[in-house]
Amino acid sequence: MSPDTTTAHPPAPAVRTSWTVRIVGIVALAATTITVWLGLWVTPPDQVQGDLVRLVYIHPGLAWVALYLAFGLAAAASLLYLWPRTRSLFWDRLAASAVEVGVVFNVCTLISGSIWGRPTWGVWWAWDARLTSTAVLLILFLGYMALRRVPAEPEVRAKRSAFVALFAAVDIPIVHFSVLWWKTLHQGATVLNPNLSPTIHGSMAWTLLLGFVALTLVFVWMLLVRYRIGVLEDWLGVGELDVALRERQAEGATVDEGEAA
Amino acid sequence: MTTAPPSTSPPAGGGDPPEPLPPRRPAAKAPTRPSHRLRYGLVGVILVASFAFLLVKGLGSALDFYLTADQAVAQQASLGSKTFNLEGTVEPGSIHPTPNGVDFVVASGSTRLEVDNTGSPPQLFEVGIPVIAVGHFSGSTFVSDQILVKHSSNYIAKYPGRVTAPNGTKR
Repeated sequence: MSPDTTTAHPPAPAVRTSWTVRIVGIVALAATTITVWLGLWVTPPDQVQGDLVRLVYIHPGLAWVALYLAFGLAAAASLLYLWPRTRSLFWDRLAASAVEVGVVFNVCTLISGSIWGRPTWGVWWAWDARLTSTAVLLILFLGYMALRRVPAEPEVRAKRSAFVALFAAVDIPIVHFSVLWWKTLHQGATVLNPNLSPTIHGSMAWTLLLGFVALTLVFVWMLLVRYRIGVLEDWLGVGELDVALRERQAEGATVDEGEAA
Repeated sequence: MTTAPPSTSPPAGGGDPPEPLPPRRPAAKAPTRPSHRLRYGLVGVILVASFAFLLVKGLGSALDFYLTADQAVAQQASLGSKTFNLEGTVEPGSIHPTPNGVDFVVASGSTRLEVDNTGSPPQLFEVGIPVIAVGHFSGSTFVSDQILVKHSSNYIAKYPGRVTAPNGTKR
């Protein structure tokens, strides 16, 4: 990376992917592969659900990443942006990246849950409190992403986005506790239940745990990559704006010239 | 918004380098006084907290997905023939296939309620499992056209003898 002095662009950020990102990606891939192997071939069928239980190795893990890691991180980063002493566009970009990855995981949570619900409950979807609040969470954070595309100065956008992220994050505990607060079709928590005594046994528990670790690593990898894309986007965006401004200026100058002649 | 400032003298030639960019923004606003910021923060916190409180308490049982069989029987007069979701555990020995569906009894507390369902229930339907029937009262029976099977959050191996090692290997 050499400083570029010939154009209006600030120097480009490092273009190559760092080794941290690559190693996280490789470990995430390996952990996911082992989870799939354990989940589909090694673990036993369940007493009640039979082979349908195998969705437990993926669905709660996806929800864990979406709700607590991605949206939780987005809320924390937004708070740190709004806090004057820690205000930095780093937190804004981190929150935006986390939300985007979280939306992907939220969609995957809804899809995998739907696939699990059809054979067990008998329906693809039910308007119970858990499912509805999860869908509302997705809509709230899609709104966050839409808001970010409204043209504004980076600081203005960061501030309003942070407020919206904090507002949307109110739904996170509602999703989590919905199965306790209301009567739902969705079952209660297996691991993070009120007694904190996991009601899953043996190899199923280990595979569930590994699934959580694997999906967490996938999340970290996606977040790192998305953050880097954000840095590059901002860098390109700043340059494009300068170019556009100069073009408008040049146009204005040409018109002035024409009028004077 | 992005037009060049009106220039009094036209540029000398076409090949001139463009003028330096005007500052993109006016100078930063004077920072808000801390007392104001605190007040806005407090108002925000109160708004968010009351929103959450309303959502949780105000909507209350309106967000419940079903009535348990004992609740339904207690409210039978006011429910009339309204369609709702009824929950109860399938009583052992109570499942009887009918020409167009299945008959069974659900239990909830000390209440027993006969359910007459049209259509075949989901594959996990069996005795001792909590189910939700979608339908309405017809006399003292509950007439439904859909069964949802609630499963618990407990996962237990079907053949516990086969899996002993905690590392996931099968014996």
